[in-house]
Amino acid sequence: MVKIRRAYEALALGLFLFFLLITDLRFLKGWPVSWFLEASPLVAVATALTTHTIYRNLFWGLVILGITMMLGRVWCNWMCPFGILHHLFGNIGNRRNTKQMIEVNRYRRIYAIKYYILAAMIAMAALWIVPALYNAPGKIAEAYDEAALARAAEGDSVTTFSQVFGLSSWMIGLGLVALGGYAVLRALGIFGPGRLARVPISGALLGVIVLGLGIGIVRAGVPETLSAVGDGLGRSVEASRRGNSTLQIGLLDPIALTVRSMTTSVLPSVDKATEGVYTETREYWFAWVVGLIFLGFLVANWFIPRFFCRAVCPLGALLGVFSRFSLWRIDRDPVRCTDCDLCLKSCEGASDPHTDLRKSECFVCFNCIEDCPHDALQFRFLPRKASEVTGPALNRRSLMLAGVFGVLFFPMARLSGGVKKNFDRRVIRPPGSVAEDEFLRRCIKCDQCIRVCPTNVLQPALFEAGIEGLWTPIMISKMGWCELNCTLCSQVCPTGAIRELSIAEKLGVGPFEAQGPIKTGTAFYNRGRCLPWAMDVECVVCEEVCPTSPKAIFTRNVEVTDRWGGTLELKRPFIDPEKCIGCGICEHECPVKDDPAVYVTAIGETRDKERSLLLSLVEDPSLADQLMA
Amino acid sequence: MGEKLTRTQQKNLERLGGVNPAEAPIPRRQFLTQVGVGAAAVGAAAGVGVAITDPWGMKGVEPPPPVRLKDYSVALAPSRPSLVVVRATPPDRSAFDSPDAEYAAREEQALTMVRSAMQEMGGVEQFIQKGDVVVIKPNVAFDKNPDLGATSQPDTVSAVVKLCFAAGARKVIVCDNPINNPESCFFKTRVGDAAQRAGATLMLPKSSYFEPLYVGGETIKDTWSMFYAPFKEATKVIGISPVKDHNLCKATICLKNWYGLLGNPRNQFHQDIHGIISDFAKMMKPTLVIADGRKLLMRNGPTGGSLNDVKQSDAIVVGTDHVAVDSWCVSKLLEKQRHEILYLDKAIDRGLASDWRPQWTREITVT
Repeated sequence: MVKIRRAYEALALGLFLFFLLITDLRFLKGWPVSWFLEASPLVAVATALTTHTIYRNLFWGLVILGITMMLGRVWCNWMCPFGILHHLFGNIGNRRNTKQMIEVNRYRRIYAIKYYILAAMIAMAALWIVPALYNAPGKIAEAYDEAALARAAEGDSVTTFSQVFGLSSWMIGLGLVALGGYAVLRALGIFGPGRLARVPISGALLGVIVLGLGIGIVRAGVPETLSAVGDGLGRSVEASRRGNSTLQIGLLDPIALTVRSMTTSVLPSVDKATEGVYTETREYWFAWVVGLIFLGFLVANWFIPRFFCRAVCPLGALLGVFSRFSLWRIDRDPVRCTDCDLCLKSCEGASDPHTDLRKSECFVCFNCIEDCPHDALQFRFLPRKASEVTGPALNRRSLMLAGVFGVLFFPMARLSGGVKKNFDRRVIRPPGSVAEDEFLRRCIKCDQCIRVCPTNVLQPALFEAGIEGLWTPIMISKMGWCELNCTLCSQVCPTGAIRELSIAEKLGVGPFEAQGPIKTGTAFYNRGRCLPWAMDVECVVCEEVCPTSPKAIFTRNVEVTDRWGGTLELKRPFIDPEKCIGCGICEHECPVKDDPAVYVTAIGETRDKERSLLLSLVEDPSLADQLMA
Repeated sequence: MGEKLTRTQQKNLERLGGVNPAEAPIPRRQFLTQVGVGAAAVGAAAGVGVAITDPWGMKGVEPPPPVRLKDYSVALAPSRPSLVVVRATPPDRSAFDSPDAEYAAREEQALTMVRSAMQEMGGVEQFIQKGDVVVIKPNVAFDKNPDLGATSQPDTVSAVVKLCFAAGARKVIVCDNPINNPESCFFKTRVGDAAQRAGATLMLPKSSYFEPLYVGGETIKDTWSMFYAPFKEATKVIGISPVKDHNLCKATICLKNWYGLLGNPRNQFHQDIHGIISDFAKMMKPTLVIADGRKLLMRNGPTGGSLNDVKQSDAIVVGTDHVAVDSWCVSKLLEKQRHEILYLDKAIDRGLASDWRPQWTREITVT
């Protein structure tokens, strides 16, 4: 079995690296290069929480979740490329004897950290639930009243929500007051009649509420109430969805982390050594931070084997939660077992196979079965429940604290003023990106768009897009430019943060004529640095490279008196903001390199009406046409 | 060995047979090898040190020796024209079922046109001999559809590649250093595909492929970084250019096409665009240049982007002198004033090339 597992590991890592290498304009020919990202159940679950949909191929994550619910965490040691890299690095750094290995593979309490990380991240993604529940009663009332009005139009009598539930609320209110008073009396030591003294207050409270609500529901009619509740909850969720969650799983999701580290750090280094990855060397903004984190996690294996998988990985935690349902697991025969602990020698998951198996920690690597000298361990279908620790060992208080941190992170991050009102001019998102709020709910920072971008313009952001936007893609036009006839980033985005575009839609031609081209920003001149403006020197490289038709940069001929009194004819460049799409090639090609004389900022981007620049472009002309017709 | 030994030391001495190996004399051979090798190592280190001594720190900033481009031109028989204009009616788009069929027909026509032009000048073998390594420099500066006229037509490129191989060329290299991303330029202009299908080797610009080239011209007085790797083994060079408008220098044809071989910071050339283009006449002596005047970008150059800017025409101009070819194209195809194009006059004034003359020009029509 261990040999078969090794073959699968080699296959999975090889496939991952192959997909990574062919994520390139030259080789990308319909290969499912995003498969590993789409297969990460954490991506599927978390984006489903933030977007309330399963985007495109993310159902693969649910397939993996299904496999986990059958076989346990096989993903971690059979398929996960980061897990396999950890396995490899752990073996490389291993200098321990058998006894030390047994000790280092025992379960430790710090391995529960990953569940707290998961809880915090899920809380960030599911923050909308809090306002949705808070606003739910009002929305349910609204839904009921609307339905009642509709029924009234058919001849029934109008009964509003407050009429129907008025009695219930009075009942509940009076019941609460009476019980409260009674509790106060009892606390003061004044008891009423003997029989009353034995009534449990919380039970009575529940009774009052159930009775009150029950009367309301009976008066309103059960089907009407059910439909009003469903409708009202839906409305409440819809109203709370916007601006009420953020997706941070990508920081530690193993697949997103690996793709990001490979893209920004490993591949450029490989290219430096071989000149075989890119045509032109790539540079990435703060790649060393990403690279150091990646290396740090790999080297950590030498001190604690599979440290990332055991203690940090939120995907592993999610799979650990779901593995409780798995039908097969490692089981120990207590009669054959001599308590030699040799099964711990190469236990990858630190799942204590020598005693009751910690099911949520087991990576199903089968090393323990191989290492057991007495054949006391086997992988069995439905073994005794009594011989396992089914769920993760968690501290309820820490879990609550992690959740609270997650809930608080969003307002701290979003309301610190760098995203909405005071958005950064450097946050120029690739074409096809959805509006910033939705973007932060979809982008998993896998940086696959950065990998596929043919010009190096896409860069991992540091804090330009707020702390939420760490490592999300932005365009830095000094590094490259957005190729006019290119939509590769939109094709490889696994979560729809950059939705799939056609060239026609990007350019605003054909059926998209009325909508116009997609703008990522607008270019501006710094006339104090521009050669024809400031220094009487011919240039207009920007005009030459401007790719739109007609060009967004145009020139005006001027005759100027030069320093010596002679006349000089110059072409001076101007921007037509209506034509400019913010591609940034003017900035990239500007000979004033350090602080280019023409530069692009995010204003005027078409993905958000609030960020548009020109009145003429705010109103959708196609909408106007429809209204005229 | 006068000092007294402890008991343990005496035991050790007995075990070793009464002789302390630490006090045995060094064998002469070992002495000589050790001292000799040591001295040699010190000498070698000192020698290397002296050899790479750089007291002023100036050797470190010395650029590598510049490369020079060979003269690739060929002499034609005096009776032959040096500039041939071939005209043919463009195939009617509506007559074909599929774009592929149309493309094949156009490729066929381009082959006929270029071949008959070369026939007129004395045959393909005048230019390409057996075993030649030919570098073809198309203009694929932008990642645009070839129909927009901003780049070389893929059918012309594949026709020339086929002609080269038919004449016995050993290898044909197609290369350019585009403004947009190289992969996507060669892909979108379909030049990469056409060249590879015809059997040519595609060479995309990598940073290690650039070397300083000595030009010694008016604007590039000394050297400039150039995409030199393809020219290492080249014996012939053919430029294939579109005929198009350019805002600053007015026209981009064969002479300006060599711009695409230069490396950064080439965007500074706009500060003296006519000077630099006239320098190309000094820098490059091509075997042949081909101006593809079947699609003319009349406005909004050099990028174009709209079919409204493209004028269908019928001519391919083949010549040995890039200035003469440009001069003919400017006045006859682009409908511009010949002397608007300052760089042509500059190149002629500097004695680097000559203008076109009716007596060296022939116009033919093929079907």
